[in-house]
Amino acid sequence: MLTVVLLTAFAAGASAQRTISGLIVSSEDGEPVIGASVTVSETQLKKAGSTARVLGAVTDIDGNFRFVIPEKVTEIEIRSVGFTPRTIHLVDGVNSYDIKLDPASEILGDVVVTGYQVIEKRKLTAAITKINIDDAAIGSVMNIDQALAGQIAGLSAVQSSGSPGAPLKIRIRGTASLQGTQDPLWVIDGVPMNGTDLPSTEDLKDIDNLYQSSIAGLNPADIESITVLKDAAATAIYGTRAANGVIVVTTKNGKQGKPEVTFSTRLTYSPKPNIDRLNLLTSDEKVDLELDLLRSDYTYRESKGEVSRILAAAGVLDAYKRGGWSAVPSDVQARINALRGINTDWNDILFRDTFNQEYNLSVSGGGEKATYYTSFGYQDEQGNVDGASMNRFNLVLKTKYRFSESFKVGASVFLNRRKNKSYLTDNDGFTNPVYYSRRANPYQQPYDANGNYIYDTDIQGRADSDLKYNVFEERNNTEYTLETTGITALVDADLRFTDWLRATTQLGVQIDKTDSKSYAAGETYAMRKEFYRTEVIGADGKRASFLPDGGRSMESSYSNKQLTWKAQLEFAKRFNTLHELELMAGTEIRKTWYDGFASTAYGYDKKTLTSKPVLFPNESWARLFPLHSESYTENAYVSFYANGSYSLLQRYTLGASVRFDGSDLFGVDKKYRYLPLYSFSALWRISEEPWLRESTFVQNLALRMSYGIQGNIDKSTSSFVMGDYKNESILPGVVEDVIVLGTPPNRRLRWEKTHTANIGLDAGFFGNIVNLSVDAYYRKGNDLISLKMLPLETGFMSTMVNWASMRNRGVEVALSTRNINTRDFRWVTNFNLAYNENIVLNETVPFNQTTPSREGYPVNAIFAYRTAGLDSDGMPLFVNKDGDAVSAKEYFKLNGAGASTLSAAEQRDLYTYIGSGDPLWTGGFINTFNYKNFDLTVNFAFNLKMYTRIQPSYSTVWFDRGMNTNRDILDRWAPTNTSATLPALLPDNGYRSDERLNYGEQNTYAMLDTWVKRNDHVRLQSINLGYNLPTPLIHRIGLASVRVAFEARNLVVFGANYKNFLDPETMGNPFAQPIPKSYTFNLQVKF
Amino acid sequence: MKLSKIFLPLIAATALTGCDSFLDIQPVGKVIPTTADEFRSLITEGYSNVPYDRGLTSFRTDEVLLDATMDANDLSSYLDIWRWNDTSSDENTASFSWRTFYHVLFIANYTIESEKLMTDGSGDEIRQMVGEAYMLRALMHFNLVNLYAPAYTTCTPETTKAVPLKLDSDVESVLSRNTVAEVYKSILDDLDSAEEYLNTDTWETGYNYRFNTLSPDAMRSRVYLYMGKWEESLAASERVIAKHPQLSDINAELPNAYNSVENIVALEQTMQSQYARTIKINRNFYSKFSSTDLRRRAYFKQVTTSNITLVKGGSNTYSCTFRSGEMYLNAAEAAWHLGQYDDARTYTEKIYAVRYTDGGAAKTAAIEATDDTDVLDEILEERARELAFEGHRWFDLRRNGQPRMERSYRGETYVLEQGDARYTLRIPAEAITANPELAE
Repeated sequence: MLTVVLLTAFAAGASAQRTISGLIVSSEDGEPVIGASVTVSETQLKKAGSTARVLGAVTDIDGNFRFVIPEKVTEIEIRSVGFTPRTIHLVDGVNSYDIKLDPASEILGDVVVTGYQVIEKRKLTAAITKINIDDAAIGSVMNIDQALAGQIAGLSAVQSSGSPGAPLKIRIRGTASLQGTQDPLWVIDGVPMNGTDLPSTEDLKDIDNLYQSSIAGLNPADIESITVLKDAAATAIYGTRAANGVIVVTTKNGKQGKPEVTFSTRLTYSPKPNIDRLNLLTSDEKVDLELDLLRSDYTYRESKGEVSRILAAAGVLDAYKRGGWSAVPSDVQARINALRGINTDWNDILFRDTFNQEYNLSVSGGGEKATYYTSFGYQDEQGNVDGASMNRFNLVLKTKYRFSESFKVGASVFLNRRKNKSYLTDNDGFTNPVYYSRRANPYQQPYDANGNYIYDTDIQGRADSDLKYNVFEERNNTEYTLETTGITALVDADLRFTDWLRATTQLGVQIDKTDSKSYAAGETYAMRKEFYRTEVIGADGKRASFLPDGGRSMESSYSNKQLTWKAQLEFAKRFNTLHELELMAGTEIRKTWYDGFASTAYGYDKKTLTSKPVLFPNESWARLFPLHSESYTENAYVSFYANGSYSLLQRYTLGASVRFDGSDLFGVDKKYRYLPLYSFSALWRISEEPWLRESTFVQNLALRMSYGIQGNIDKSTSSFVMGDYKNESILPGVVEDVIVLGTPPNRRLRWEKTHTANIGLDAGFFGNIVNLSVDAYYRKGNDLISLKMLPLETGFMSTMVNWASMRNRGVEVALSTRNINTRDFRWVTNFNLAYNENIVLNETVPFNQTTPSREGYPVNAIFAYRTAGLDSDGMPLFVNKDGDAVSAKEYFKLNGAGASTLSAAEQRDLYTYIGSGDPLWTGGFINTFNYKNFDLTVNFAFNLKMYTRIQPSYSTVWFDRGMNTNRDILDRWAPTNTSATLPALLPDNGYRSDERLNYGEQNTYAMLDTWVKRNDHVRLQSINLGYNLPTPLIHRIGLASVRVAFEARNLVVFGANYKNFLDPETMGNPFAQPIPKSYTFNLQVKF
Repeated sequence: MKLSKIFLPLIAATALTGCDSFLDIQPVGKVIPTTADEFRSLITEGYSNVPYDRGLTSFRTDEVLLDATMDANDLSSYLDIWRWNDTSSDENTASFSWRTFYHVLFIANYTIESEKLMTDGSGDEIRQMVGEAYMLRALMHFNLVNLYAPAYTTCTPETTKAVPLKLDSDVESVLSRNTVAEVYKSILDDLDSAEEYLNTDTWETGYNYRFNTLSPDAMRSRVYLYMGKWEESLAASERVIAKHPQLSDINAELPNAYNSVENIVALEQTMQSQYARTIKINRNFYSKFSSTDLRRRAYFKQVTTSNITLVKGGSNTYSCTFRSGEMYLNAAEAAWHLGQYDDARTYTEKIYAVRYTDGGAAKTAAIEATDDTDVLDEILEERARELAFEGHRWFDLRRNGQPRMERSYRGETYVLEQGDARYTLRIPAEAITANPELAE
C-alpha cells in the first residue's frame, strides 16, 4: 500500500520534471548527514499540479541525495533527527545543492554512540540518555563521574567519601543483582575499561585508602559526550558486564580547519566541614557525664576517661563513688574542673579548607587527510585533611587519518599520572582523622605546655592500653603515597568496501600501574603496635619485640593490564527507499592480567635508606610478617555478537541483538562457559506519519519498546571442593603445601537470569519548545545469586545461593522546556524524575535466618522491632502481636544466657516492616537562564521516600566512657531522669542479666525502631553563573572567545530530621566524610 | 579494494579463534584436590587449623596469674577469661573457637568421603590419610565437647546437650546439639575406624604432628579416663606404654617439645606465643614444684620473685597432643580407681624417676608411705605438675570436683564457686546467631 503511494508520486510527476541532487553536511563539523530526508511538501506538490501526496528521498552514507521532482516545485524540505529542519528554495537551472544543517537542541542528539555502533537517533530503539560535557549544567567537576550526578533520570551518583579524587557510587535503575559488582560498565571510545569497580564504601572511609578508579584518570576537559545505556536493547551487546548499565564516554576529536587552541582553568575552594550538627559533648558535659557514671552502677570501662584517672591517681576513686563530689579533696576537684575549660576543637585542628586548581590546554585541528586533538591537563588538590593532597597529569593524543574515502585509521593515546599523598592511618580505624575528630575527648589536648605530645589512651577501644597515640605525631612521622600511571592506547581502522558494507576493527590496550609507598617512623603508634604484636619471651625470660628498632617502609606495586580486540562487519542498505536494513556481527576477545607485589622492610632509616634484617623466632612468625609477597591472576574472555535493525519508511524500526560471552571458568561446569544474552526492540516514529507530519503542535514523537534477557553466574563458586595453594609450617624446619579452602563446594548454584522490558516515548511539542521523554521499565531477576551466612558447623561462614527473584518497576521522565526564548533572554528548564519500585517476589529463607523474609518487600527493606517506650528500669518495651508492651525477656523468650529460645521462624515474625532503604523517587531539577552574555544554572537533586537505619547513638551495654559521643547519651533513662525516651545504660550487676546479655551479644538493640529514620532530602547541587566576554572586544585582542564562570556546589540540603548527622546522604554512618561545599572559579579562553 | 582481501578472511578467522583453548586458563595456585598428594595438602591444612583452645583454657585455671602490672593490651585480651567474666567481657577478649573446629571437621569428613576417589596414590598412603582424618574428627569433637558441655562424669551424658556432631561434609544440613553420650560414642567409633586405617608407625621429626598407629590408643586412654571407664583407659594406656615407654630426660629436653623422645603426636601448640608471653605463673601453682623438682627450672623461669614466666611454650617447638608422660599418669589414675593401688604408685614413680633430683627416691618413698586412699591426690598433683600448661588442667579440674577458685585483681575478688556453671563455656553468640538451634 505504501509502495503504491510512492509509485503514484513518480507517476504523477511524469509531465515536466527535473533531477535534483545534493550533499548535506553538518554545519558543525562538515561531516555528511546520513539518512536525512529530503521531501517535497503536499502543498508544493499540489501547487505543482501533482496528485501525489508524498515525494522524497533520503541521503546516503556520504550525505548525498538525488531525486526527481516536478518542474514547478520551488521548495524542498530537509529534515534529519538532531538537526534543525531547513527549507531550501530551488533556483531555476541549479540542480545541485550543498546544504548545511545546524544541529538542533541537545535533547535530540544527532547520533548515539553505543561503543559498538553509531546509531542514528531516528532509528534508536533503546533507552539511552546522552549528555554533552560542554553543557554549562555540568559545571566544574574534577572527575567525569561527578558530572553525572543529578543529570540523568534513573541514574544515581552518590559521593563515597569526601577525600580528594574519591570516586562516586553510581547506580543505574536501582539494584539489579546483589551479587558481585553493582557498578556500571565504563566504555571509553569503544573500549570497556577495567578496574572501575569500586570497593565497598566502608573501605573508602580511611584517608589512607587512596582508592583510585581508572575513571579518575580521565580529564573531564577531554570529554565530548557521555551516553548512558539503560535498557536491555542498549546493553545486550555488551554482554554480562553490562548488567548494571553502561556509561559510554566519547572523547573530543580534532575538526577540520585551522588549529584551535583552548585554555581553561578551574580554581576550587572548599571550606572545611562544620560538624556542629553532630552534637558532640563539650568538655563540661563530658566531665559531668563521667562523674555521673562513676557514681552509677554502670561499671563498664570504669577506668577510662580522664576523670576516672585523676580520681584513681589521687586514690580517691572509692571515696568519690561512696561520698560523691564533696568527698573529693579540693585540689583533685580543681584538677577535674580544669578539664572543663579545655575544649579542644579537633575538627578545627585536623581539617583545613581545600584548594583545588586545574589547568587544561588543548590544540586541535586538521586537514583533508588527517585531524588531530592534543591536550594537556594538570590538577592539584590540597585535601581537607592536613597532609592529604592529590595531583593529576593528563596527556591525550588523538589522530585520525583518512587514507581514502573508504579507509580510515585512528590512533589515540591517553596517558595519566596521579599522585596521592597522605599519612598513615592505622587499620584500627581510630587513627582516621574523621573518626578521631569525633571520638577524641574535648578535654584531650595534642600538646603540653612545652610542645611535647600528649598521648591519648582512651580512644583505642580497649579497657587498658599503654600504646601511646597522638594524632599529630602520627601525621608528622608517617607518610603514604600512591602513584598511579594509566595508559590507554587505541587503534581502530574502518574500511568501507561499498556504501553498504564496511568492516571495523579496534585494538585497545589498557595498563594501570599503581605504586604505593608507606613509611612509619619508630616513634609512631603504628610501629608501637607492630612492636607490641611481635613481642616474644626471650632467653632471659623478658619479653621484647623481635623486630629491629626503627621504622618500617612498605612498598607495593600492582598492575592491571587489559588487551581487547574486536572486529566486526556492518551491513547497511536501503532498498527502494522504503526498506532499510542494518546488520552487524562481530567478535571480541579480551584478556586481562593482574599482578602485584608488596615488600616490607623493618628497622628502616629514612635518612640513610637502610633497613635491618628481621630475625624471626620461627616460621610461623615469619609467615605473619611477610617481607615479600606476590600475586598474579589472568583471565580471558571471548564473545560473539550480532545485531540488526530493519526500518520501514523511516517510521517503523525493528531491532534485535544477541551476544555470547565466554570466559575462563575453573572448577565450574563447562555448560556455564557461554552465556547467551539477547534483546528485541521496536520503534515507531509517529511524527513521521503523514497525518502528523504537518502538525505544528507535535514536532517529534516516537515510541520505543524493548525486551531482553541477561544471564550471570558466580565465577568464584565451584561445585567442587576447591582451594588455593599456600604453604604452612606446622612444626619447625618443615614447610609444606596446604590447600586453603575459601568457599564451600556448592552444587546447587544455577544461573541468574534477568528479564528487562522497556517502553519509552520521546516527544517534542511546539517547535521543540517542550521536549518530553518518558520510559517505563520492568526488570525481573530470577534465581538471583547472593551471599548467605551458613551455620558455622558447616565449617564455613557463607556461601553463594540462588536466593530470590526480584522485580524492579519504574518510570523515568525527562522534561525539558524552553520557557522563555527571546533575543536576549532564554530560560530552559530540565526536570528529571525517576520512580523505582523494587520488590522481592520470592525468597528462599534459610532455616537459620532470624531476620524476616523480604518477600513482598523491597530488597533493601528495613525491618525493626516496634518499641513502646521504656519500662521502669529504663529498658525498651516491645510491642507484641497483641499490641501489648512487653519486656525483651518476654518478647524474645530469652534463656538465662540471653539467647532467644524462639525458633528462627518465630524470631523472624517479631520484626515489623518500616520502609525501604532506597529512595522511591529520585530526580533533578535544573534551570538555565541566559541573559545576553550571562548564563545561570541552578541544579537541584532530590531523593524521596527512603529510610535509613542509623547507628545507635550509644550502646546500652558497651558504652565506652573514654570516648566522646553525641548528646543523646544525656537523654538516656536514669533513676533521676525517668521521663527520658532513650534506654538506660545497663549495669552488670546480675539484675535482668538475661536481657542485658541479649543487648550485649545479639543485634537486638540496633534493630529497635528507635534507630530507623525517614530520610527524604533535596539538595541544591550547584549554582553556576557564567559570562561570555563580548565577541568584538575579544576579537580585538586576538582571541576567539573568553568565558568566566563561578560555581557553588552543595550549598544547602533540605531534609527530614537528620539530627546528629552532617548530611542526610551520609546519615547512618556518623563517621562518613560530609559532602563538601565548594566554590569554583572557571576561566576558558579560545584562541 | 585490495584491503578487503585481507580484511574479510581476517574477520572470518577471528570468529573461529574464540576456541576453548583460549579460555582454558589454569589459575595460578588454584586446585581441586583429586590426587593423594593434593589430599595430603588438604589434610595438612586441616592439621594447621586445629585450634589451640586447650591452651586458652589455661587462663581459667590456677596455673595462670594476671596482674595490673602487665601489658594493658594483653590484659584486655585475657583478663575476662582469667576472672571468668563471661557475661560482660571486654569486646577485645580473646574468643574460644567454634567454626575453626568445624572447618577442620569439614576437611576430615571430606577426606573420609573421598577415600575411593583419590588418584595417584598407594593404597596404604590413602588409608593412612583416611585414618588421620578419623583421628582429627575424634580429637575435634573431644575438644569441643569438653569446652562447651559439662564433663562426662558430672552430668547425665544420655540427656545432657553438648555440641552438634558433624560427620559429613554436607554444607546444607542443619545441626542441633547432640547429647554428651552421643558425642563420646562417636569419638570412640572414630577411634576404632582410625585404628583400622592407620598404618604409619612413626613419622619423621617435623612431620610427627601427624597421627600414627599409636594415636587411637593414646587418645582412648584419655577419652575413657574422662568417661570414668577406668578399665578401658588403663588397658589403652598400657598398650601405648608397651610400645612407647620412653620418658624425656628433663635436663636434656622438655617433654612437650615436638622432637622429644616421649612425644607421640606433636600437633597442638597449646601455649602459642601470645598466650605464653602474656602470662605469669601463679605463685601457688609454682609452689607445687618443690626445690627437688627438676621441672621447676625446666618449665619456668623465675625472673624476679613474683615474675615467673613460662619456658615450655611460646612457639611451635612446643607442640604436643599425646606423650608418654600423660599415658603413665592416665594409667596411674585409672589403676587407682580400679583399686590397683600398687600399680598406681608404680606408674607415678616412673614419672618421679625422671623429674626429681635424686631419681625420685624421696618422692617414691613418700608415696609408698601414703595411705591407699590418699594416693589419688598425689597422682592428680603430679599430673598437674607434669602436664602443666599443656592444656590439661582445665579439663582435669572439670572432671575432678570442679573446685572453688578465687583470684583478685586491682583489689577486686573474683570467685568461681565449686561446681560453678562457668566450668562449661557458653557456645559463642555468633554461632547461635548463625544457627538458632544451638540455643536449644
